[in-house]
Amino acid sequence: MSIRQLATLSPRPRKSSMAQQPETRISTTTPRLDVAHLAKSYGSGEKAHKVIEDLTFTVDAGEIVCIVGPSGVGKTTLLKCLAGLHPASSGRASIDGRAISGPPAEMALVFQDYNRSLMPWLTVRKNLILPLRHLRLPASELKERCDSALAAVGLSHAGNQYPWQLSGGMQQRVAIARALAYRPEILIMDEPFASVDAQTRFDLEDLCLKIRRDFNMTILVVTHDIDEAVYLADRVVVLGSRPARVLKVVDVDLPVPREQITTRSLPEFARQRTEVLSLIKRPA
Amino acid sequence: MKPSIRPLAFSVLGIVTALVIWQVLAEARVAGNALPSATTVFANLASTLGLGSFWSSLASTIGIALLALALSAVAGIVIGLLVGSFESVRYATLAVLEFLKPVPPIVILPLAVLVLGPTVEMSLFLVVFGCLLPIVMQTVDGVQSTDPVARDTARSYGMGEGEILARVVLPSAMPYIGTALRVAAPAALVVTVVAGLLGGGPGLGQSIYQAQAAGDYAGLYGLVIVLGLLGLLFQGATRVAERRVLHWHESYREVVP
Repeated sequence: MSIRQLATLSPRPRKSSMAQQPETRISTTTPRLDVAHLAKSYGSGEKAHKVIEDLTFTVDAGEIVCIVGPSGVGKTTLLKCLAGLHPASSGRASIDGRAISGPPAEMALVFQDYNRSLMPWLTVRKNLILPLRHLRLPASELKERCDSALAAVGLSHAGNQYPWQLSGGMQQRVAIARALAYRPEILIMDEPFASVDAQTRFDLEDLCLKIRRDFNMTILVVTHDIDEAVYLADRVVVLGSRPARVLKVVDVDLPVPREQITTRSLPEFARQRTEVLSLIKRPA
Repeated sequence: MKPSIRPLAFSVLGIVTALVIWQVLAEARVAGNALPSATTVFANLASTLGLGSFWSSLASTIGIALLALALSAVAGIVIGLLVGSFESVRYATLAVLEFLKPVPPIVILPLAVLVLGPTVEMSLFLVVFGCLLPIVMQTVDGVQSTDPVARDTARSYGMGEGEILARVVLPSAMPYIGTALRVAAPAALVVTVVAGLLGGGPGLGQSIYQAQAAGDYAGLYGLVIVLGLLGLLFQGATRVAERRVLHWHESYREVVP
């Protein structure tokens, strides 16, 4: 896939309401995504089960932030709050200062379970079109978005196949292409590469970096893989259990562009993954 | 013998054996005049096929069964989607639906005949009564088995509730609905015949009743054979339709990675 193909996937134009905001909004002082004292519990009263205690972190425009933590810490719950699928119990999450109350139009979500998130009765191309229908775009734009999104993930040949005819890694690329065709400004991924083999995982990680570079997308990735978090992220938010709280936000100072072999063999890489690992391993 | 023709050969063998047993029993006069021989029945059937009245009864039976099936499918899927999607609707209707489910259509046949008379409407009503509830129940199950990840995916992309119902929930429920329709299609035929036989509604059921009343046993068995073949046809057609519509489903996939 060439960079030229990728360049056709420009982010979708900002909404007029946002365009009216002063330009300074996009400066580093205002984070794109702001999570402030977010808490989430299920049930109420005595029986309330607290999943998230008190989370505060920010994601700046164009940044990749990874959230790591022990399994069952409530990472998926956090993403569902950010995606507007579940309301937060207290605190708030906001995009450009606007509180998230429902699924935000500028955000797309990639789930871990690609085989549950892709519709088996639709071809790859129709899966890409499904979330775009309600935007009432002209047919030519639908086609253009599908073509460029499939090209970006290297699946131009697979448009007319069904997801279940493809390998796991290819299916997850379809799910990513579906998010790209939606032209989000913020991409949220929930353990996106956990269900694929190691080699595919490296390819998908690099695809993620390429998407950020080419589309200047803001990306938040939840993962339980510390190496992956350090490799991908500008900053790593380390969560402690349970209920979930932020242990530390680690700045990753690895050079860009990153490359699977050279980046991972840097002494700095080892130092940072050790720092994250020791935070997670430390007894609560 | 090639493995591919073996099932066919055994099927033919089974049918021939059944016909031979029938012929032997009839020739031995185990049931007296009530069981004419196979050869007599088929000869009689051949002459019946030339009668206009036979074809119009056949057309009535097929027409009533198909129309009632279509009505049940449309109404059943709509009701099922509502009951499955909205908790309030589910609580309001489930007790009534569960109560009506085990009531066979034949139980309300006298009531239907009393109110509607021996008419097409009466037959339609009985068939819909018999087919609707299983389709509703299966649709409800299908709706509730929709993968929450698929729903969340649709919601996260800003799809509205109506659109999710039509484009995500309904297709996910299709395997359940397909099963319900495959079971309902032969049942529709059976109830149509019963409505004719016992309720006097138009169609082959009525013809069977008339043949029985006239002591025309050869004619009666001929009609029963026609009904049997019609049942096979219904079952085959729904199977083919299901395979086409659900080609993407695990049980029908032809290409496995």
